[in-house]
Amino acid sequence: MITLAQYLKRSATYKLFTTLFSEVVMFLDTIGGIIQLGIHFISRIFKDGISGKELAAQCERFGISSLPITLSIVGMTSIIVSSQVANEMVKQGGADFVGMLMTILIVREVGAVMSGFAITSMIGSSLASELATMKVTEQIDAIDVLGVDSVGHLFIPRVLSGILMMPVIVLIASFVGVLLGALTSNLFSGLSYRAYFSSVWLGLYMKDFWVSLLKAATFGGTIALISCAFGYNAKGGAKGVGIATTQAVVWSFIAIVIWDMVFAILFFF
Amino acid sequence: MSIEVKNLIKKFDDKVVINDISFHVNNGEILAIVGFSGSGKSTVLKIISGLIPYDSGEILTSDGDIAMVFQYSALFDSLNVFDNISFALQERKDLKHKYSMKDLQKIVAQKLELVGLSGIENKFPSELSGGMQKRVSFARAIVTNPNTILYDEPTAGLDPMSSTLIEDYIVRLKNETNSASIVVTHQMSTITRTADRVIMLYDGGIVFEGTPKELLKETNPYTKQFVTASLDGPMQLKA
Ligand SMILES: Nc1ncnc2c1ncn2[C@@H]1O[C@H](COP(=O)(O)OP(=O)(O)OP(=O)(O)O)[C@@H](O)[C@H]1O
Ligand SMILES: [Mg+2]
Repeated sequence: MITLAQYLKRSATYKLFTTLFSEVVMFLDTIGGIIQLGIHFISRIFKDGISGKELAAQCERFGISSLPITLSIVGMTSIIVSSQVANEMVKQGGADFVGMLMTILIVREVGAVMSGFAITSMIGSSLASELATMKVTEQIDAIDVLGVDSVGHLFIPRVLSGILMMPVIVLIASFVGVLLGALTSNLFSGLSYRAYFSSVWLGLYMKDFWVSLLKAATFGGTIALISCAFGYNAKGGAKGVGIATTQAVVWSFIAIVIWDMVFAILFFF
Repeated sequence: MSIEVKNLIKKFDDKVVINDISFHVNNGEILAIVGFSGSGKSTVLKIISGLIPYDSGEILTSDGDIAMVFQYSALFDSLNVFDNISFALQERKDLKHKYSMKDLQKIVAQKLELVGLSGIENKFPSELSGGMQKRVSFARAIVTNPNTILYDEPTAGLDPMSSTLIEDYIVRLKNETNSASIVVTHQMSTITRTADRVIMLYDGGIVFEGTPKELLKETNPYTKQFVTASLDGPMQLKA
């Protein structure tokens, strides 16, 4: 005979809810851990200051080495979007607004979001695996035993480089995106460059521009912080490095989409 | 009293790894900790150095730096040997800006000479053999002249000559600085050549405490099993 309570515990509904509950707890736990490391890192900026040399090295890694991939991804997305948009708009008599529409799309969304995805897969994964490897080989312990705060030492240059470089990346990528939009519209839909660019200005609001840069800085800082945090908390050997890297990428992607939604609600409603 | 551990208890999740152990190390003394794999030796060192928290008990160390030589060297693989050894002097808040580049070069060269590896400042850890990495990590640990030094298997994986070099240096450093040291080791030569006293850990507790000579006498069933490396005895290998 089993009691009702035991029976209940075997039911699918019960299992579903306990699984969901533990997932939610884990989710909040992870976010809590990331925020905690974020606060720790900010407090270290005031205590330790910033090493210019390290920051420069990380900026180069974040911004320069990733540029070819980021530009390719944003560029190709722009080509895809404009090949769809331009054709249709020219047919419907909206040729005068192709440049405007493309600019709005790229500056408000495509530039930052696609750069964010590209940077996550290139830089985020490399930050996470770097710190995770340091963690599992006790290099992070060694930093602490030598009397240096490991969170400050590792996070400050990496997260700050994300905040500083991401706006630059997004700016360049958006510029390239708008140019490729013109090229595509011209080649596939016969739209003249003059028609395209005369409406680009109509789509370029100062506010969009600043919001885009702010969004980029937020994305960059978030990707770097999440990636460093998962690396820093890695456990176990080579497998732990793999898990940390995967999680860093997944969580960065999710964070980008969530931030993008927050920005859309805050600035464009 | 330079290192004092009182009634230390450490659990990982629900597993008790260190179960109420107490010991002390005086200044100018070297204590060897022995015990089978998984008996908690590295854990004790990490607790003393402040890397991991403990559940209850008390740890007292004298003022000054605590240094640790890690079991697997833990060299910074993105930095060359020079930057590895001078890391604390370049990055620690109270030490950076205190030394000129020339000072650093002199200090690093001197430490490298001590471990018998002069002239490898520009090499990266991946270009060194395991034994060389261990010796570099040794040089890195002592760069700030610490007065508490924890060695996690300092001679494991070294050839006999390099082992002797490190063992002699551990003793010399103790004599020169009057530091308190703990050496975790499986190696008999390291125990007999360096240690003043030995404790043996098993199943979270101390099952032997005495001098290296007493350890070798094999009067205690635990030490007998350890010294003869026998599979029969009170200790069982387990996960
Ligand atoms: N971070 C951790 N989380 C969970 N368990 C741990 C952790 N670190 C160590 N342990 C466990 O604690 C016990 C002692 O580990 P420790 O590394 O201190 O052993 P050890 O005596 O140094 O062994 P070895 O001689 O192999 O180096 C082991 O059972 C290990 O599984
Ligand atoms: Mg160990």
